[in-house]
Amino acid sequence: MRRFLHDNALGLVFGLGFLLALGGQAIAGHADFNSQQISHGAEPISMGAYLTSSSFGVDVAENWQSEYLQFLLYVLGTVWLVQRGSPESKKPEDIGTESDVDQLVGRHARPTSPAWARIGGVRTALYSNSLGLVMGGLFLLSWTAQSIAGWAAYNADQISTRQDPTTWLGYLGEADFWNRTLQNWQSELLAVGSFAVAAVYLRQRGSPESKPVGAEHADTADTG
Amino acid sequence: MTGTRWLFVLYLTLIVLGLAYVIVLGALGR
Repeated sequence: MRRFLHDNALGLVFGLGFLLALGGQAIAGHADFNSQQISHGAEPISMGAYLTSSSFGVDVAENWQSEYLQFLLYVLGTVWLVQRGSPESKKPEDIGTESDVDQLVGRHARPTSPAWARIGGVRTALYSNSLGLVMGGLFLLSWTAQSIAGWAAYNADQISTRQDPTTWLGYLGEADFWNRTLQNWQSELLAVGSFAVAAVYLRQRGSPESKPVGAEHADTADTG
Repeated sequence: MTGTRWLFVLYLTLIVLGLAYVIVLGALGR
C-alpha cells in the first residue's frame, strides 16, 4: 500500500485535489446561482437541485473540454512543431513521426514493449496514436456535454426572462456558447505557449518539466 | 504496475461517467 501511494503520488494527489476543488466549485457555484436567483426575484434552490442542474454541468464541462483540447493540441503540435531551447520540444532534426527504429515499433520492438507496439497493422497504428485519440475523444465528448448542458441552462434563463428558447443547433450559434468556449481556449493557448518559451530561459531545479539548472538556453529537449 | 493500471481506468471511467451525467442533465433540460 505504501509502495502504491509512493509510486502513484502524482496521479493520486492531483485526483484528490480535483475532488476538493470540484466540491469547492459546487459550494461557490450554488451560492452564486442563488444570489442571481434572488436578484431576479426567483426562489433560491437547494444544493441537491443545483448539483443536478445544467448550470452546474456546463460550468464543469466548459473547463474540461479546454483542458483536453490543450493536451490534444500539445501532443499533436509537438510532433511537427519545435521550440528551440525548450524542454517541452523535441530536437529540430526529429520533426515528424520518426522512424520505427526510434519508436521501437514492429520488429524493432523490445521484448518488454507493449504487445500492440510489435504486432503491426491496424492495432499498432491505433496504439501509436492512442494518447492523441483519447485526448481528442475526451475533448469532443466534453465539448458536446458543454453544448448540451449549456443549451439547457441557456433556455432556462431565456424562459425565466420571458424570451424564446432555442434549439440545440441554434444554441451552437449563440454568443453564450462561443463566449464560454473561447474564454477557456484563449487561456489554455496562452499558458501553453508562454510556458514553452519561458522554459527556454527559466529553470525549476529537480522538475522534469525544466531543463537542468546549468543547461544552455539553446539546449532543446534536454529535461532535468 | 497493476495499481497504476487501476488508477488509469478509474480516471477514464470517472471522466466518461461525469460527462455522461452532464449530457443527461442537459438532455433532460434540468
